[in-house]
Amino acid sequence: MKDQTARDSVEIEITGLSKVFGQGAAAFSALSDIDLTIRTGEFFTLLGPSGCGKTTLLRVIAGFEQPSTGSLRINGREVAGKGPNARPVNTVFQNYALFPHMSVADNIGFGLKMLGKPRAEVAATTADMLRLVKMEEMAERKPAQISGGQQQRVALARALAPRPRVLLLDEPLSALDLKLRKEMQGELKRLQAETGITFIFVTHDQEEALTMSDRVAVMSAGRILQLGSPHEIYHAPRERFVADFIGDTNFMELPVARLEKGGAFVTLPGGSETRAELPEGLTPVIGEKVTVVIRPEQVQMAPPDAAEMTGTVESATFFGTDTHVHLRLSDGQGFILRRQNSARTEEPAPGAVMGLKLSPGALRVLRD
Amino acid sequence: MFRRSYSVSHLPGFGFVAILTFLMLYLPILVLVIFSFNAGVSQSIWEGFSLQWYEAAFRNRQVRDVSIRSLWLAATAAGIATMVATLAALGTTRTGRFPGQTMIYALINQPLMVPEVVTGVALLIFVAAIKVQTGYTGMGYLVAAHTAFCIPFAYLPIRARLETMDINLERAAADLYATPLQAFRYITLPLLVPGILAGFMLGFVISLDTVVITEFVKSAGQDTLPTYMLGQLRRTVTPEMNAIATLFLALSLMIVTAFFLITRKRGA
Ligand SMILES: Nc1ncnc2c1ncn2[C@@H]1O[C@H](COP(=O)(O)OP(=O)(O)O)[C@@H](O)[C@H]1O
Ligand SMILES: [Mg+2]
Repeated sequence: MKDQTARDSVEIEITGLSKVFGQGAAAFSALSDIDLTIRTGEFFTLLGPSGCGKTTLLRVIAGFEQPSTGSLRINGREVAGKGPNARPVNTVFQNYALFPHMSVADNIGFGLKMLGKPRAEVAATTADMLRLVKMEEMAERKPAQISGGQQQRVALARALAPRPRVLLLDEPLSALDLKLRKEMQGELKRLQAETGITFIFVTHDQEEALTMSDRVAVMSAGRILQLGSPHEIYHAPRERFVADFIGDTNFMELPVARLEKGGAFVTLPGGSETRAELPEGLTPVIGEKVTVVIRPEQVQMAPPDAAEMTGTVESATFFGTDTHVHLRLSDGQGFILRRQNSARTEEPAPGAVMGLKLSPGALRVLRD
Repeated sequence: MFRRSYSVSHLPGFGFVAILTFLMLYLPILVLVIFSFNAGVSQSIWEGFSLQWYEAAFRNRQVRDVSIRSLWLAATAAGIATMVATLAALGTTRTGRFPGQTMIYALINQPLMVPEVVTGVALLIFVAAIKVQTGYTGMGYLVAAHTAFCIPFAYLPIRARLETMDINLERAAADLYATPLQAFRYITLPLLVPGILAGFMLGFVISLDTVVITEFVKSAGQDTLPTYMLGQLRRTVTPEMNAIATLFLALSLMIVTAFFLITRKRGA
């Protein structure tokens, strides 16, 4: 069990951090105005498309890069300016970076050896770690003699052996095939729970981020756009980018009919009014159009006369557990609906007119 | 494969050119080796098999002296050159990019760009001036000249090895609390050994072989094997020269083979 008080304490505090590569006209801002607090013992994920600065942020935390401005505190101590060997942080590299000339056991013991721990302690911890990642049999093998999944475990064990306060993982599962990736996702969650170490996990895979994390920071172009629990990120995206990046989403441009506390009534194509949640601090002008989002699985099919709006089926794609139905709304906007295949039903035929009901509270206005 | 349908070996004259090339490359050497076993003194008439010229070479005190000097010089020069080249390779691959980096690559490779005879003349004048000033006439000049000449040959394989080595390995070491010196000692150096060995061997062979620079720099009584052979050839040529050349060839072949084995096997 994780200690509740430890859980609420701050592990990493980043304020006003930026990182600029190059100089003058060639200067490129890889990170801008990062403010971030990571709690002790949480599974924290940096999620964003390739090139958004995830690796750079991780490298700044690890100490391979120094921030251009701002401060970075680990466990209350300012570490900006300190090298990687002076930080209680270990990294699992994207390509593992196992030492090819050392055995699996020597790889795992390396950190403790460098910390000057006595031989017996190094051996004992190495044995513990080998057990933790289920690699006891492979202790004497060289990295080239084990599979990719096993190398991944060794890289994990090597980074965990010195008991760092924080473990940094840069897309550690991206090189694995789907089945192994699922397996390792569970393994990572187990290791994190068993060790209680703070994990900072980098991925561009939104599903991986949602399933594994306590909290997720969605990044784009060197900035953190939104930070929250997987639920908040998925169900209450604040910006179009976040909604679009995570899962399939329907965007609609709809006029505001009237306002009430925390919500706005928008006019759906076809004329009926429905309530949409408003993000904090946003007050739209009545009569003007706003962008609203709704997830494809938060829409149900209904008979046209009992529906809030209607659409014409353009195509339907069968995915097994569900079917994705592409529709054209009466005002011409495209729309996707995801139907759960809980019973064996006919696929909707193209050209058919279908009634749509929105789940209550599912519609949200975006801050554009 | 698609590529297979086109092969230069079907072009007219391909076989002829190929055979001619190999004859040009190896026939003279083959003749030299064969006549080192000749029972007579002729270089063109075979008079039966004998090892007498090898015996003569081994009995020849001068041959022994110059051989030892050559080997000693090659080992010393290649050794120093390898150390310098290792530092140079680290300095050009394990630092941030700095202005003039390409220039530095070129400058390190001076002996590959400047004609050997120019270097020879320059050294002759330079060394003569120092000799006059200091009176020192020892092997130091040859060691220094050979070392400088060997550096680029030692540098190339070491740098190649460093460039193919994953820089994340050194980062991982630092991440696991190794100081820069420890990271070098436990990670960079062990992984660099094949490159260093290859660099040393290349330097060694180059030093053994070089004539021009030695000829310009050496003082009296400092002949190396190649300059000695050259000197002897100005007089009568007996198959003893063939025997010495054959032994020299065997030594070079051994070193080059070892070089290939090391770079092939441990390069992966
Ligand atoms: N050392 C560097 N020099 C210059 N630009 C860099 C450097 N490292 C990263 N960048 C740039 O910073 C941006 C973010 O890179 P990165 O953090 O690797 O993205 P991600 O890991 O999210 O894919 C990219 O545009 C990349 O080209
Ligand atoms: Mg990355």
